Amino acid sequence: MLGALAPTAALAAAASLNLQGQPQIITNEAPSIVAALTHETVEIREDFAGLELVLYGATRGLTLQDEIVVVLRGPGEDLRVMRKERNFGIWVNSAPLEFGDVPSYYAIATSLPLDDIATPQSLAGSGIGLPAALAIMAEPTVASTERDVSPYLSAIARAGRRDGLYEEAQRGVEVLDGGLFRATISLPPLTPVGNYVADVYLFRDGRAIASRSASLRVEKAGLERFVYEFAHSAPMLYGLICVLLATLAGYIANAAFNRR
Amino acid sequence: MQIYLPIAEISVNIFLLLGLGTGVGFLSGMFGVGGGFLLTPLLFFIGIPPAVAVSTQANQIVASSASGALAHWKRKTLDLKMGLLLLAGGSVGSILGVQLFSWLRSLGQIDLFISLSYVGFLGIIGGLMFLESVRSILRQRAGKATARGHGRRRRTWIDRLPFKMRFPQSGLYISVIPPVLIGLLVGALAAIMGVGGGFVMVPAMIYILRMPTNVVVGTSLFQILFVTALTTFLQAVQNQTVDIVLAMLLIVGGVVGAQFGARAGRHIKAEELRALLAFMVLAVCLKLGWDLVVPPADLFVVLPHGSEGQ
Repeated sequence: MLGALAPTAALAAAASLNLQGQPQIITNEAPSIVAALTHETVEIREDFAGLELVLYGATRGLTLQDEIVVVLRGPGEDLRVMRKERNFGIWVNSAPLEFGDVPSYYAIATSLPLDDIATPQSLAGSGIGLPAALAIMAEPTVASTERDVSPYLSAIARAGRRDGLYEEAQRGVEVLDGGLFRATISLPPLTPVGNYVADVYLFRDGRAIASRSASLRVEKAGLERFVYEFAHSAPMLYGLICVLLATLAGYIANAAFNRR
Repeated sequence: MQIYLPIAEISVNIFLLLGLGTGVGFLSGMFGVGGGFLLTPLLFFIGIPPAVAVSTQANQIVASSASGALAHWKRKTLDLKMGLLLLAGGSVGSILGVQLFSWLRSLGQIDLFISLSYVGFLGIIGGLMFLESVRSILRQRAGKATARGHGRRRRTWIDRLPFKMRFPQSGLYISVIPPVLIGLLVGALAAIMGVGGGFVMVPAMIYILRMPTNVVVGTSLFQILFVTALTTFLQAVQNQTVDIVLAMLLIVGGVVGAQFGARAGRHIKAEELRALLAFMVLAVCLKLGWDLVVPPADLFVVLPHGSEGQ
């Protein structure tokens, strides 16, 4: 949005109007985009080991110059990032910075490498792309004027990529005939639970001219959900049952051992 | 086959967990130790959050010590009075340990603290055990009979402490302060390191309290059973970090492994067994110590923050 406001006022106004779903007057067919995910909810059960999600959609008024960007963002979380420093020969966590509302999951898929679709400034303005998303969403919650935040942000990005939680698939969007498209997004085994938002953007001349959101919910189900909720809602009873089960297992082992 | 652990919130190969449980169970059956000091670091290495690993490990030790304590109870090879004193100290230690654990976690220093505790304790105990077993192996090679006892017990500072009590089962008349303090230390270790603490308590009972060796293991298992049960309960209530699915997998593997380990252990001499165990303790200590000193791959750590984080 910020990028769109910069150069020519008329175009920018048209673009932002379009984002709100208003018809465009310049072309006879207003570009628009619709999208849906193959799942509305993803259930994490005991055999969950990651999942491939497909986001599919259709565009109207897609021209050859248009590109599609798909962003799936997970629920925000609070993080503490610390730098390891050597003290008396051992590496100690120090200099903590706290960040609020960091996306716990961030995947981006595009029909062209992101750099070829729009300028970094324009992307940063709309919060698209991992660096932009981190810079906008993750605000250090502790006063940090004297410290450089950027190494901390890149540490968050590195950690997310290591766990498969931050993913940038160049050309992850397949454009099919008739303005249809499809994007494959993978959820790793470490997928956090919560509400996800998928944003789909139609880019023309380096600007988002249409967008659409779809939502996704990731939740624990089955035994996983039962155990998790039990442990949190009745921790005393849960603790007692853990102890009793373990004692019982020890007793059975003892009985079995003595028979031989 | 992957299994998603509900509290640890990660997906792990089920056979890896069963294998770890069995392997460590084998070693613990062979050496007659709990194995917590091996299993907890291994759980860290496969990516289980330290808080969950330590709390769940306490739960696993409940099972392994229950079967051992029962066997000793039937054979009457445990000093109940001494066990209860150690347990009293252990309960206080466990409560303090869980508080300390929560506090260090909120500071982001829990990993370092756990590693330092491991390096310190394993280094001291492993070193002492190694020296002692080498000495007794050498003594045996020289053909001298092992000096059974030292004749009359020498008087030490322990005997000058007040609040003396009689322990008929152990044939002791000593102050209650050392057992309570030993129990306290071991209880705190259970909460912080996820170990039973047998590797600290057994030498302490032999060398400091001078208890007869036939009741040492049973009494130590008795104390460990109740202290780890209390620790499991407290961690579940305060930190919600006990993963019952993980615990059950480790218990099943551990029970099976311990049976085979106990059989394998019968074919090795006690001194050599102890030297081997000392070797393993030192190896774990060196590995953890090395990780503290070597420059990390990533100079930054990203930790969850807030009430729920690990």
